[in-house]
Amino acid sequence: MSYAYLFKYIIIGDTGVGKSCLLLQFTDKRFQPVHDLTIGVEFGARMITIDGKQIKLQIWDTAGQESFRSITRSYYRGAAGALLVYDITRRDTFNHLTTWLEDARQHSNSNMVIMLIGNKSDLEARREVKKEEGEAFAREHGLIFMETSAKTAANVEEAFINTAKEIYQKIQDGVFDINNEANGIKIGPQHSPANQSLNVGGSGGNQGGNCC
Amino acid sequence: MDYFRNILGAPQGEMQATSGADTVERLCERVSSSTLLDDRRDAVRALKALSKKFRLEVGTQAMDILLNVLEQDRNDAEIISYALDTFYYVMSNEPTDEDDATPVNSGLGCEFTEIFIKRPENVTLLLTFLEEYDFHVRWPTVKLLTVLLSNKQKELQEIILVVPMGVSRLMDLLSDSREIIRNDALLLLNQLTKGHGNIQKIVAFENAFERIIDIIKEEGATDGGIVVEDCLLLLQNLLRNNTSNQNFFKEGSYIQKLKPFFNIDDEYAASRQGGWSAQKVTNMHLMLQLVRTLVSPNNPQNQTVACQKVMNHCGLLQDLCSILMATGVPADVLTETINTVSEVIRGSQPNQEYFASVLAPSNPPRPAIVVLLMSMVNEKQPFVLRCAVLYCFQSFLYKNEVSQSQIIQTLLPTAADANSITAGQLLCGGLFNVDPLSNWFSAVALLHAIVENPTQKEQLLRVQLATSLGNPPVSLLQQCCNMLAQGGKVQTKIALLMILCGWLADCPIAVSHFLSNTANVPYLISQVSSSEADDHEIIVQGLCAFLLGICMLYNNDTTEAFTKSALKQVIQNRIGLESFTDKLIQVAQNENYTRAAKKPHLYHKHPNEIVFDYEFTRLFKMLENEVLKAVSGTGSVNGRSPGGPGIDHYKALLKEQEDQVLALRKNLEEMQAVSSSSEKTVLELKVQVQQLKDQNSLLKAQKATQGTPPPAGTNSSSTEEVEALRRELDSMRLQLQDKDTQLMSMSSNKSNDAATDSSSSYHNGSSADEKPQGSDNLRLQEIESQLVSMTTERDSLNERLIKANEENLKLTNGKRVTEEEKAALVKEHQELKEDMETLKKEQDDLLVLLADQDTKIESYKNKLKELGHQVEDDDDDDELEEVEDNDEGDAD
Ligand SMILES: Nc1nc2c(ncn2[C@@H]2O[C@H](COP(=O)(O)OP(=O)(O)OP(=O)(O)O)[C@@H](O)[C@H]2O)c(=O)[nH]1
Ligand SMILES: [Mg+2]
Repeated sequence: MSYAYLFKYIIIGDTGVGKSCLLLQFTDKRFQPVHDLTIGVEFGARMITIDGKQIKLQIWDTAGQESFRSITRSYYRGAAGALLVYDITRRDTFNHLTTWLEDARQHSNSNMVIMLIGNKSDLEARREVKKEEGEAFAREHGLIFMETSAKTAANVEEAFINTAKEIYQKIQDGVFDINNEANGIKIGPQHSPANQSLNVGGSGGNQGGNCC
Repeated sequence: MDYFRNILGAPQGEMQATSGADTVERLCERVSSSTLLDDRRDAVRALKALSKKFRLEVGTQAMDILLNVLEQDRNDAEIISYALDTFYYVMSNEPTDEDDATPVNSGLGCEFTEIFIKRPENVTLLLTFLEEYDFHVRWPTVKLLTVLLSNKQKELQEIILVVPMGVSRLMDLLSDSREIIRNDALLLLNQLTKGHGNIQKIVAFENAFERIIDIIKEEGATDGGIVVEDCLLLLQNLLRNNTSNQNFFKEGSYIQKLKPFFNIDDEYAASRQGGWSAQKVTNMHLMLQLVRTLVSPNNPQNQTVACQKVMNHCGLLQDLCSILMATGVPADVLTETINTVSEVIRGSQPNQEYFASVLAPSNPPRPAIVVLLMSMVNEKQPFVLRCAVLYCFQSFLYKNEVSQSQIIQTLLPTAADANSITAGQLLCGGLFNVDPLSNWFSAVALLHAIVENPTQKEQLLRVQLATSLGNPPVSLLQQCCNMLAQGGKVQTKIALLMILCGWLADCPIAVSHFLSNTANVPYLISQVSSSEADDHEIIVQGLCAFLLGICMLYNNDTTEAFTKSALKQVIQNRIGLESFTDKLIQVAQNENYTRAAKKPHLYHKHPNEIVFDYEFTRLFKMLENEVLKAVSGTGSVNGRSPGGPGIDHYKALLKEQEDQVLALRKNLEEMQAVSSSSEKTVLELKVQVQQLKDQNSLLKAQKATQGTPPPAGTNSSSTEEVEALRRELDSMRLQLQDKDTQLMSMSSNKSNDAATDSSSSYHNGSSADEKPQGSDNLRLQEIESQLVSMTTERDSLNERLIKANEENLKLTNGKRVTEEEKAALVKEHQELKEDMETLKKEQDDLLVLLADQDTKIESYKNKLKELGHQVEDDDDDDELEEVEDNDEGDAD
């Protein structure tokens, strides 16, 4: 129940790229084959362990449709991490990344960690965007990159956890001001050095499942 | 038209208004034309002072000019502050305390608001003022936005939503260190979030839960004042019907943070002679409703279950139960606490278990359940409290066979403990006492103890009641029937019928017990066939019909007089199918039924509203159709619920048909595959037959050639030659004979070859053996008949497909019609709106005209004065003094 840190994430990207599916796979370990268009924003949460510390992830899955843009923009500020998702089987979703990135950079705090995700890696036969292209885009814009499949769950855990690791590192480096909650980071209520010994060696252990 | 009257009414008012309009006009001119900031500031201040009394004038004349000020003079906090205040007074529909003489026109504020927001940029401009820390700018901005929101909520919400960071900026106000701003921000956020899910989510994202709970704590929790109330209302706004926010609330561990608020200490009651303050009662109510919002039976089930779990773990449930048993808690708070406990335990086994273990601090200690039930069957307790107890009891039993059996157990002879009062005793007592409400509550409570639980239904049959001294005991079941037959209040009868229906449903033993008393069925028949038509009697008749139906449905034919078929006969002869159906259908059409079926919570305000129980409506819905089927004896029932089934029914039908079509299609495909493969076999066989035929004719031809004499070409006939020829002929004949036998044997071989042939065109009789060919034909016929049957099957499948499609089409059509109707309504709405728009415009024009005329009259009056006529004096000086007065009053 208690956690060392709480990170707020947002998931952004064109409609239909699989944002809601990624969240569902991460929180419920399920896949939803039908496109259930997100209206506005939906919330999800899960506990993970990094470096022996319990970290609570609160995730806001946003609607990709253009008409919801003004709503979803309200969530940039106040997020510590963002998953920017495109669909490797639809080049246009890759082409729109620049717009997404500009939007995110403009409305978020400058330290927000952005993870670029090429989703639907299971559909190799229909691939339109090469993995190298994703890597190149990420390198060019200073993002972390991964290809995932919300269907097979490949790399889904890793995408969320690696983003958290990056944020955690930034905290260690003193880049993030953890006392300003507007950055999307909160220190846990019972976070004291005495409690930490309990979590030693718990890394990667009881991740997943419900957090309460 | 109030303002017209105000202006044109009394002579006194006339003068005031006239001079007011005049002054406003002059001030406006000064604001727009003066180049000196000081000058403009003074003029805006004067406008502000006039804006309460001369709302209309300031609103119509100064709006644009003041907007200009907001844009041009934004570096001067003071003038901005005056301008914002002026807007506030013009828009506000709150009565101003200084002149309560003028009635406030509430329409005016809305109209000015509408004009103001016609340019959304005006709202954006206001939002930028929130970045100004200066109290004199920020505070009036908050107040103005609040009043705009309360005048035109939907429009403002949409405008603010699209302003970048609009909602976030309003949220930041909660962190303002100045209490006035923070408190007013709560009101603003309340208006902002009302009924708008997306704004609610953004506000929650901006840490609203944390901030609000902190404020509640700072303000003394439930002991706090109206600020706590505002906070709780805002929390309620953010959570009601918003699953995403509820999930966030739970995940953010905020339920745990609510817990301390339910820690009521008895000191409080003791320290106050008069009990709880009104504010504390209000706060507690809201706090309890907040909990209920999180575990409402209408939420998605997994959501409710998760919250229930947390509430048990963190001790919130325990605190709630302590309130139940505490002293000095006001009755309405107690009632709401019972309702809250109900929903926290409903369907959650660990929570129900905990509730069962709670003891009341009585002497001797009694289970809380027993103490609550005592109130339920006590006529003197408030009605709503008794309803709450029943709801709590139902929630305790809901989906829990263990608690069901615990309750029934207390009724059985083995468990009888003479000294202690048990739940069972209370319910039996309540069932048969003289208070119809007690009867109803107790019957429904018992119903919930056996619902969907055949074991307990059978157990309950064992219950015997002692009657008057000397008489043998009578079973609970029969006592219910006796009570029913005695007549009594309608509520009592309905209650008894509901428990009987619930008891007999799915329990053949109970049915045979019921039927074994020969008086029961005739009573029901007489009820159903009576023609009394009082509203409530109709329900009783319908329920009697239902009970009869249940006796048929769950009849194991052990009671000779009333076997399934005997009952059917009796119903058809004595009541008539039509009448029976009619009576039954009436039940579900009753408005009390619809009300009860909506949700499990008993939200009755008056004892008269108590008719049906939620759980019973579910039973009725489930069995109504089956009863009709059983009674009519056919598969389908005609005339079922006219116009009743609704869209869900059609959806189900559509789905069913879709499934059918799909299954048929699959069938068809399979059949087609089979058919085409057999066609292929037939073709192959045909080819073989043809080949054999060809061979045969070839051989025939050969035979023919060999059999014909050689052409007579050389006729130089010598006898030798003839002789030779003859010999040759003979040898050839011999050869021919040879060949013939050969041919014959070949033929028979061939017909053996053709044993697999199935072509009917093969009629070579040369075969010695007829049998193989016969079997060929048989097979062929078989395959052919298969083919035919497959084709017919395919045709019939096609036909069904077409029918299903047609049905689909009909449904689509229906949908389109509804959509068209909707469009027409929308259009009508639009037209009405337009009409209103024109009227408003006309009104505006009139206002302008009026102002014009006022000025004219004024100038005429002046002229008259100049010409020496006696005119009632306007006294400009007084007016100015008044302005000064107001100014002093408001400047700080
Ligand atoms: N094969 C495959 N399909 C996927 C994958 N992820 C998502 N999909 C499918 O893609 C469709 C869209 O997925 P969603 O998650 O609803 O898309 P979204 O990004 O949330 O869309 P919006 O809510 O409109 O912004 C669905 O039909 C999913 O089943 C994946 O990894 N592999
Ligand atoms: Mg989505």
